[in-house]
Amino acid sequence: MKIGFVCKYTPAEVFEAMGDMTGRIEPQVSDFNRADTMMHPNVCSYAKAVLEEVMAGDWDGVVLTTCCDSIRRLYDVLKNALPDKFIYLLDVPRKVNDFTAGLYAKRIRAMLNDYQAFCGKTLDETELSALLERQRKAAAMADAPTAPGKRVKLGILGARCPQGVRDILRESGGEVVFDLTCTGLNRSFPVTGTEVLTGYAGALLSQFPCMRMADAVNRPRYWQQMETEVDGILYHTVQFCDNFSFEYSALKASLSNRDKPLLELETDCTPQAEGQIRTRLQAFLEALGAAKPGESGAAPITIRKGTGKPMMIMGIDSGSTSTNAVILDENKRLLAHAVVRTGAKSGESAQKILEMVLERANLKREDLSAIISTGYGRVSIPFADANVTEISCHGRGAHYFDPSVRTILDIGGQDSKAIRLSEQGEVKDFVMNDKCAAGTGRFLEMMARTLELPIEELGPVSLQWTEEVEISSMCSVFAESEVISLIARNKEKADIAHGVHKAIAGRAYSLMRRVGLTPKYMMTGGVAKNPGVVKAVEEKLGDSLVICPEPEIVGAVGAALWGLEQA
Amino acid sequence: MNIAKTYGGFVKNALPDHPERARALVRAGLRLETLRKRIAPEKGLPKGYLALHKLAMTRTADALKHPETAAWVNVFTPVELLKCFGLNCTSVELLSSFLSGFYCEDTLIDAAEEAGIAATLCSYHKNFIGGSLLGLAPTPKVAVTTSMVCDGNINTFRYLSQRTGVESFILDIPHAWSQEAEDYVIGQLKELISLLEQKTGVSYREEALAEMLERENESKRLLLEIMELQKTKRYPNTMTMNLFMIYATHLAIGLPEVLDFFRTMRADIEQYPEYHGKRLFWVHLFPYYQETLKQYIELDGPYYISGYDFNYDYTDPLDTSDPLRALAKKLLLNHYNGDYHRKAEWLAQLIKNSGADGAVHFNHWGCKQVAGGVQLLKAALRDEGVPLLILDGDALDRRNSHDGQVKTRLEAFLELLEQGGNKTP
Repeated sequence: MKIGFVCKYTPAEVFEAMGDMTGRIEPQVSDFNRADTMMHPNVCSYAKAVLEEVMAGDWDGVVLTTCCDSIRRLYDVLKNALPDKFIYLLDVPRKVNDFTAGLYAKRIRAMLNDYQAFCGKTLDETELSALLERQRKAAAMADAPTAPGKRVKLGILGARCPQGVRDILRESGGEVVFDLTCTGLNRSFPVTGTEVLTGYAGALLSQFPCMRMADAVNRPRYWQQMETEVDGILYHTVQFCDNFSFEYSALKASLSNRDKPLLELETDCTPQAEGQIRTRLQAFLEALGAAKPGESGAAPITIRKGTGKPMMIMGIDSGSTSTNAVILDENKRLLAHAVVRTGAKSGESAQKILEMVLERANLKREDLSAIISTGYGRVSIPFADANVTEISCHGRGAHYFDPSVRTILDIGGQDSKAIRLSEQGEVKDFVMNDKCAAGTGRFLEMMARTLELPIEELGPVSLQWTEEVEISSMCSVFAESEVISLIARNKEKADIAHGVHKAIAGRAYSLMRRVGLTPKYMMTGGVAKNPGVVKAVEEKLGDSLVICPEPEIVGAVGAALWGLEQA
Repeated sequence: MNIAKTYGGFVKNALPDHPERARALVRAGLRLETLRKRIAPEKGLPKGYLALHKLAMTRTADALKHPETAAWVNVFTPVELLKCFGLNCTSVELLSSFLSGFYCEDTLIDAAEEAGIAATLCSYHKNFIGGSLLGLAPTPKVAVTTSMVCDGNINTFRYLSQRTGVESFILDIPHAWSQEAEDYVIGQLKELISLLEQKTGVSYREEALAEMLERENESKRLLLEIMELQKTKRYPNTMTMNLFMIYATHLAIGLPEVLDFFRTMRADIEQYPEYHGKRLFWVHLFPYYQETLKQYIELDGPYYISGYDFNYDYTDPLDTSDPLRALAKKLLLNHYNGDYHRKAEWLAQLIKNSGADGAVHFNHWGCKQVAGGVQLLKAALRDEGVPLLILDGDALDRRNSHDGQVKTRLEAFLELLEQGGNKTP
């Protein structure tokens, strides 16, 4: 028998003591087609992904717990859909004391009775006792190997953290000192006394409390103790799981007056947003001073220095909408820049821009000492010598153009971000939008299309507005419907465009507030060329925005500057 | 001009720098609204609902004015017990609704999200947290929540307790009834009694609780009679009044004035004529602000909301000779507690017995416990031949709903009902 489970409070060891295989379900799925029809799109992504995996077949049974609303409903749906499998819901008490240990043991016995009816197996408690003892000894022996090189020490808190996230951290120069999410804890349960199952039930309940437990009130004490051991904290959440955001909010408030960086990262069990997740994690590690912000965490890049020739560094920012490149000389002089549309293949536009910018600078490929890539497509540029995230690059670039800038708003084609800088231009904090299109350049493109206006005209047209119209929806799909109904009501294009820009500005403003509103402000990215958005953000902010003559190259300049720093 | 919206603008302007002024404005707003209903009520709103409106508004304004005798609860908290200690119970959901009534939800929800609260959390909870962060909700004497049905409560209460310092108590309600589960809950109720005695200085009297339960039993008996009468009569209502009913059936249940209200309503409904149009049974929550729905189902609109599930989640008589055990049973055996199929079967029977021609399930944004099971409910109702419309939206945050989408779905569903079809769209 192969029995899956999801929650750390599950008594998985009782199945192993009966000779069955158990495994924590760690699904990676490509879509939620079944879950969206059998449940609902707004249920926790992890619960939906488990549904996809269990429905796909590999498990003989699943033991779920009453850990949260989404998992309780997952049980109801699976139980209904798979009557021939062992689908069981175990009710875990939220309070931990002798009474509840007994109560939980009793519920585990009830589950074992059902399991016996299902497959005929019974539990030998002495076997369970021996297994727990072996497990405890093995856990005491195991010592996590430390990776070589200078490492940024990190702690992980929050909801179940997928292995993929831990892998990216490791590859990018991070070392996980503690992981208090439910997937990061070792299974080792000290059981004393003759009542094996009751002792075991009590030990299960006494684990580091998750947010559903009454004892979660004591969690801050743990992280306050642990926080001194790490350089930064990663707070991981799962999309549509809200339970941990409460702690994130409290932690954020608690850390705000101490200089302990905190990154919130949301994942959803699909590979869709992997690029964005990688960017966030690497930018965080870069801000914490990881040895090398590139892919391998190994040696720094070599800058080719030709004899007698000046150093030239090319920075290339491969975004979803545009690819931008610059060449800086060793005196940080901007020799040339270029901006092209990215198109369907980022590699092709990179090649095109390489040729273009070299021509404009009147240089040859061999004159370049290094090429540093950044942006969403930074890993797909074959000729780049190293890559850095666009977060660090925008910080450097903005500081280059105006050293007094402290807060950057970057609205690109598919994501928007707010970055807070120190006086030296180091990234102190950043936030990115989630993966939905609201508040991004893509959103504006959709709206321009609906209004039948070329994207370049959206801004100038909106400045002619006369009547205030409100686009209230937060979702871009809803907003599009709103725009359509405004058109149907014969509203002027200028007024609707103005409403759209105000909606974008509202999103941007709340993003900026999340990193703290510290003047002076700069806006970068393609959307900074839209005067309607700029004006709307300035009005919301009550302050002006610095806009570079070419706001799309700030990231590329930052990449080139990073290259110069390595020389 | 929309008076509530303009008034809400004043409240928002007072935030975050002058929370005391904003609180005074909210209290004054509730009193003004009570007065407005008395002087110029909506045309056709019956006497029973006017009485209910006055009761809920006055008591809520009191709770805001006198936080020292108020308690924050959730909709399932055994308020009967808290009332024995003179505490005026108001729920997160209720206060959230009132704040949304002033068009303040955008500011408050944004404040919660900026503080790091998930955008995907139920907007009732986000709104209340935002209100508390901005100082709009005065800190009460105590906060008591149950763990049952909805995840949001435990975390919201814990968060608010950590932020405001209010002492909070969690009642852990097991997923299903068993003798041990009942004992577990009774043990916790006794702990709660000690806490309440210590916080209020009032001694617990079992007779007071028994009297409370007696009035509750009588109120619920009248409620069932009212439901029965609505099978033939139309007692005009609004979405807002349906939500106000939760105040009577949950938050204030057991009070003498609530029993009076049920008596008024029971007598008043007799005066109303028979109704031969289509009836709809409503499930979960109402997007009370949605224009299309208002036109279709409120007052003398073309369709009649003849039942709302929230009011019937537990209607069995409580054993007044053992009041704590009765409360434990009430919590554990609540129709929403436990496996979804238990709820779905009950709901299907309830809807069928109500004589409704169809049902509407409003899937409120952020509510995982209903969203995750809604397809099971649809299947259960299909077995009973009752058509079900599932509407997705937000019961509180106007920015998160789109009237056009609601209109298309609702009208398609109503067309099906008119055709006498029982297919679910």
